[in-house]
Amino acid sequence: MEPITSFFAVSVILLGIGIYGLTTKRNAIRILFSIELIYNAANLNIIAFARLSSPPLVTGQVLVLFTIALAAMEAAVGLAIVMLVSRLNVDIDLRKLTRLRG
Amino acid sequence: MGNPIIDLLTNTYFLEIVVFPGLTSIAILGALLGWLERKLTARVQLRIGPQYASPAGGILQMFADIIKLLFKEVTIPEGADTFFFIMAPVTALIIGAALLGLIPFAPGIQIANIQVGLPVFLAIVTLSPTLVLLAGWSANSKFPFIGGLRALFQQTAYEIPLWLSTLGVVMVAGTLSLTGIVQYQQNSGWLIVPQLLGALLFIITSTAEMERLPFDLPEAESEIMMGWQAEYPGPLFMLVQGPAFVKLYAFSALFTTLYLGGYLGPSPIPPILWFFAKTLLVIVLIMLFRSTFPRVRLDQLLRQGWTTLLTLSIINIIIAYFLVVGFPAI
Amino acid sequence: MTDLVFLSLATVTIASSILALEARDLVYGAAALGIAFLGMAGLFFYLDAAYIGAFQIAVYIGAVVVLILFTVMLVGPQLGEPPLELKRLSLLAAILVSLLLGTAGAVSSASAFPGPDNCGSGCDLIGLSNALINQYGVQLEFLSLVLAAAVIGALTLAKTDRKTE
Repeated sequence: MEPITSFFAVSVILLGIGIYGLTTKRNAIRILFSIELIYNAANLNIIAFARLSSPPLVTGQVLVLFTIALAAMEAAVGLAIVMLVSRLNVDIDLRKLTRLRG
Repeated sequence: MGNPIIDLLTNTYFLEIVVFPGLTSIAILGALLGWLERKLTARVQLRIGPQYASPAGGILQMFADIIKLLFKEVTIPEGADTFFFIMAPVTALIIGAALLGLIPFAPGIQIANIQVGLPVFLAIVTLSPTLVLLAGWSANSKFPFIGGLRALFQQTAYEIPLWLSTLGVVMVAGTLSLTGIVQYQQNSGWLIVPQLLGALLFIITSTAEMERLPFDLPEAESEIMMGWQAEYPGPLFMLVQGPAFVKLYAFSALFTTLYLGGYLGPSPIPPILWFFAKTLLVIVLIMLFRSTFPRVRLDQLLRQGWTTLLTLSIINIIIAYFLVVGFPAI
Repeated sequence: MTDLVFLSLATVTIASSILALEARDLVYGAAALGIAFLGMAGLFFYLDAAYIGAFQIAVYIGAVVVLILFTVMLVGPQLGEPPLELKRLSLLAAILVSLLLGTAGAVSSASAFPGPDNCGSGCDLIGLSNALINQYGVQLEFLSLVLAAAVIGALTLAKTDRKTE
């Protein structure tokens, strides 16, 4: 089995990529990508720590099931908002988008 | 020992992946299924069907077609996204072949015997509408894009009933492993008897998943002229047609495994023949749908999927619950 | 052998997640995101969480990526993203945060989590389902309520708009 450090490294790199995307991107959909990547980094961390503690814990998998469901939900609502905004404005640039009212 | 190439060629795992139940057999069976479908549809419609390609009723027709298609020119539509245009059907074919790796064909003949075979099978299946959407989008043409969007809408209608209909089997058998489900049926008899409603729902929703008539909305010839496949040139068209037959084979094999006892059967006939006999039966049944039912409309499919099919699959779960805990004394 | 599997999965995941953010066309970005999720599912399989892996494929690629693709295709191409003056600074910040967290994790946890080779009951499906229903049943119910609320909310957002148009 790989040591925990390797999984942690992958997770941290994904988190870094996610933060980078969150801070530099202007497009709402790309920011959604970054959020999903951060979610995934967290999930990998939870699963890896649960699996590699001794004895392995099953609660990590339960927690990740919940997170995956929550992330899907967040994507659904976020994309609905993006669609709505794209009908009202032409642009979905989050830095120009200052109001959500039609 | 000795020659590494001979070692590789006689390795069971290698043989399973490359020859049977892997790639070679999938390619040959896919082509034969294409012939069977055309012959069967023709006979139902009182036509003769393929006839000239070999003495035995034109059984080599699809191979002749493949040779013909291979020599056509590859034209990519103007403004098309070449990467997705080519990669989408290739990936679809790989996904179709991956599905068959999960099926237990006979005791020991199974490429990947994993504890969660059924969810993995269904999870891999969910990838294919994405590829259809990408293929339709990449062609940069109206009908393919309409076909791709239809595939997406269709997925929302059948996906949930498909997963829920298999849940009954999982509850009764008490395992998610496909081998485990077959072994359970060894003692208790075929699961189609207690799970008849689930089997019906499964065959309906899997027909919708395979995009076959009466649910072939993404490629309806008479409405949007083959939908997402419209722009594909000869050799690529062959590649696009392939996954349909591979998926038909995989889903029939899954139906056999879940409801018809898989490879189980009286002993003089080897298990693998039992498996293929049952699978062929399911394939013929699904092919007969094609020549029997008219195509449904998209709104009908969505409405029925979210009301009738969903309700029935929840009722099926309730039946499975009573089968597991026992019927209450009235 | 196992190291190679892990390395390739990690490389695929990281490379395609970078591509997801940097690809010029959003459709390519979404496809790369799908591959990153697939690599993550592979890592879950590697960590003996096969059920979670299947769930990850079905939910993330079967639902989220499809939704993203659908939105991208409806919204239309968003080309020519203007460069942000903060770009270099935030790249630096991201790298710094990662390094800091990475060293902290490496120092603190390398010896504390020995990780038995054979997972046993900790990755069992039966244990998972027991924990899910008996231990966390209430939370599961709440989650499904929240899920229903979110779906209704998303539908309302999309639907009212169509009527006013």
